[in-house]
Amino acid sequence: MDVLFNLTLNGLATGMLIFLLAAGLTLIFGLMHVLNFAHGGMFAWGAYTGVWVYAQTGSFTIGVICAVIVGVILGGLMERWIIRPVYGNTMQQILITVGVMLVLSEMLKVVWGPNQLSSHPPELLAGSWQVGGFIIIKYRLLVILVGLLVLIGVQLLLTRTKLGLIVRAGVSDPEMVQALGIDIRRVFMIVFMLGAALAALGGALLGPYSGVIHADMGMEFAILAFIVVVIGGMGSIPGSALAAVIVGLAGAFMNYYVPDLSLAVNLLLMLLVLIFRPQGLFGAKGVQQ
Amino acid sequence: MIRKLTAPPIWYGIIAAILLILPLVNDSRSTLILMTQIFIFAVFAMSYDLLLGYTGIISFGHAMFFGLGAYTVGIWMNRQDESLFSLLMAILVTVILCALLGYVLGVVTLRLKSHFYAMLTLAVAGLFQVGAEKWRSLTMGNDGFTFSIPEWLMDRQLFYYIAFFFMVGGFLLLRRFTLSPLGRILQAIRENEQRAESLGYRVLHYKVISNIVAGIVAGLAGLMYGLALRFVNTGVFGVDITLDGLLMTIIGGVGTLVGSIIGAALIQIAHDWLTDLAQVHWLFERWIILFGIIYILAVRFFPQGIVGSIQRLADRWKERKM
Amino acid sequence: MLLKVEQIETYIDQHHILQGVSLEVPAGQVTVLLGRNGAGKTTTLRTIMGMTPPAKGQIIFQGEAIHQLPTHAIAQKGIGYVPEDQGIFADLTVEENIKVAMHKEDAETKDRLAWILDLFPDLKSFWERKAGNLSGGQKQMLSLSRALVQNNPLILVDEPSKGLAPVVVDKVVDALKEIKDHTTILLVEQNFAMASALGDRFYILDNGQTQLSGSMQELAQNEELKRKWLGIA
Repeated sequence: MDVLFNLTLNGLATGMLIFLLAAGLTLIFGLMHVLNFAHGGMFAWGAYTGVWVYAQTGSFTIGVICAVIVGVILGGLMERWIIRPVYGNTMQQILITVGVMLVLSEMLKVVWGPNQLSSHPPELLAGSWQVGGFIIIKYRLLVILVGLLVLIGVQLLLTRTKLGLIVRAGVSDPEMVQALGIDIRRVFMIVFMLGAALAALGGALLGPYSGVIHADMGMEFAILAFIVVVIGGMGSIPGSALAAVIVGLAGAFMNYYVPDLSLAVNLLLMLLVLIFRPQGLFGAKGVQQ
Repeated sequence: MIRKLTAPPIWYGIIAAILLILPLVNDSRSTLILMTQIFIFAVFAMSYDLLLGYTGIISFGHAMFFGLGAYTVGIWMNRQDESLFSLLMAILVTVILCALLGYVLGVVTLRLKSHFYAMLTLAVAGLFQVGAEKWRSLTMGNDGFTFSIPEWLMDRQLFYYIAFFFMVGGFLLLRRFTLSPLGRILQAIRENEQRAESLGYRVLHYKVISNIVAGIVAGLAGLMYGLALRFVNTGVFGVDITLDGLLMTIIGGVGTLVGSIIGAALIQIAHDWLTDLAQVHWLFERWIILFGIIYILAVRFFPQGIVGSIQRLADRWKERKM
Repeated sequence: MLLKVEQIETYIDQHHILQGVSLEVPAGQVTVLLGRNGAGKTTTLRTIMGMTPPAKGQIIFQGEAIHQLPTHAIAQKGIGYVPEDQGIFADLTVEENIKVAMHKEDAETKDRLAWILDLFPDLKSFWERKAGNLSGGQKQMLSLSRALVQNNPLILVDEPSKGLAPVVVDKVVDALKEIKDHTTILLVEQNFAMASALGDRFYILDNGQTQLSGSMQELAQNEELKRKWLGIA
């Protein structure tokens, strides 16, 4: 029982981290039809910034805030100088975002050196609670909480604000949104920055969660996020949240019972979804040619 | 659009002659190894160009074929004796496995839009890497293993020539392929998929063929890589191998084949040279960043790469003369 | 003159679609663009909206050149667009579709919205339904409402009768008749009965060029012209 509970909690926490990455990916794709292969780079930059600032200032909160700011800046720069010039050319988009991913992860090694950095939760969140025989690691709970808050926040943003309304309209017909007098490029930029900020937030939370961070984990998590986005359906936030939990839980349980197959299971899941339900669980558009 | 290779054949002859004489003049081990690596990666990059430049497919998992070739020869030579016959069998098995993989993967996934295909290949190659790591009885896990090859193949000079002719052969074969009616259809697909479809070509069918051919060639390059090192580990399935092929092709010139060779030479030489410089300053160890930036600029401003840009300059120059 | 289009030429990919289109839309009237399929009518509207910007020529709206502006800026100048496929945001509710177009929430806008809902009572009853579930005619009304709620001096309407049952077409005609008292309309229409019921002036497009113009009344009586340019017996 204890093991099951722990694995569930662990899987939920990992799922939420992946969700933070997938949320931006799916929104950017839904709105702009850009699959950002550099999204994992934002995540890794968030992780390094968070860990480093935390180590320098001693404040975890400041670290997270700085990570998010770095994410926003990177996202803004990338949208303006990398994505916008090749907007509408799928092939160039894919190639160029991969190049950015490469440069972003190498830059990490230039700034912080090639070795991994280690981190730990702040004192307030270190350790665990014992509730009726169950051990709850505090930091995991925080990660789950933040993930849920982001999910609710993004949903509220999409359904209750004018910006969200425009984003949802843009997902269905960006040209018509412009014909109604709205500068969709500005909306693209905001969404891109928001997505990058969420990815960086995920990275910053990962540091103390996993204990160590390294430059290549951006790609590892990005692959998981891609899987989540495909399973959940491109452009769907609730879909991504559900898929992230599935992938997180599958990862945690497989890792415990059949560690050799953990990544394989998720990949197979994605493959099955792509073959039999290419629009994903929550139906999105434009997967097949 | 079909480009004629404007470089006069005489240049190819001169370069080939230089490369043939080189090991007789300079037989330092490091030079031979570097040149051999260039030849092998040139073939890998050319196979990538067949996908990217001639068919318009972006794969981020091309290393899976490369790694499959490298592991096949390693495992085969380890299990069988180290005779020429086993080597030939290993080659045959590599071709069959890569063709099968190319076929299955192509049929299942090439229907998807390019983003999804790119992503899926990235994931499948990752799966191969994990597979190679976990299937310890066969692969010895992460650390990999060494294996023996026929005695005569260990001669660096001879291997240099084999690799050289491997590249020349690969180039001629792929060139032949791209200039064939089939190759022209592939280029028509790249230019305008809908139009090719409406002209009655079964686009998927041709894409799968391209995927199979590129897969076999990449697998053979991986096999040569394994033979050159006499060692194989999970790194051969790594994303960096695919990215190397991508960088070489884009920087050299997409859709030209020659560009891939030039790109391979540039990147391998820079790798060699800048890694040495890392002792001077650690920043040189991050040489890939330079290529990453060049690559981004190339995608953005010189999508034709070095070879394409030179061709364009030459065309313009000729026009002006006329 | 509210809108003046002067010798515009537009390319889509390599295709030379518009090869010299000139037209004038006087304020307070309904100007109809006629012509066969593929004559370039839709492209003309899209070019005015900046969706397929012209390579040559100019477009003057209320005395200001707009042909180099991006689409959203053109729309902000006061041109509404009701595309052929209606451009409905299918996943949004009727209310939300209109909200996207409402840039102001002042009393005037609210009054206008009330007038629109009187004009199209169907929309009021489906207010919170997904717009994707509306019928073709209702989608047309929703699309018109979005253009109207912005109080645009000019709206471009592309084939509002397309794919609608005759009874529904009559409803749309009635609505446009009321709308024309409030705003100027540039209408693309294949349905000649509808065009002549609404139009004041006409332009005939063929092969990407404006060929003929005049008053709608004259055209309606001239069988030869109709046969020659529109293929109507």
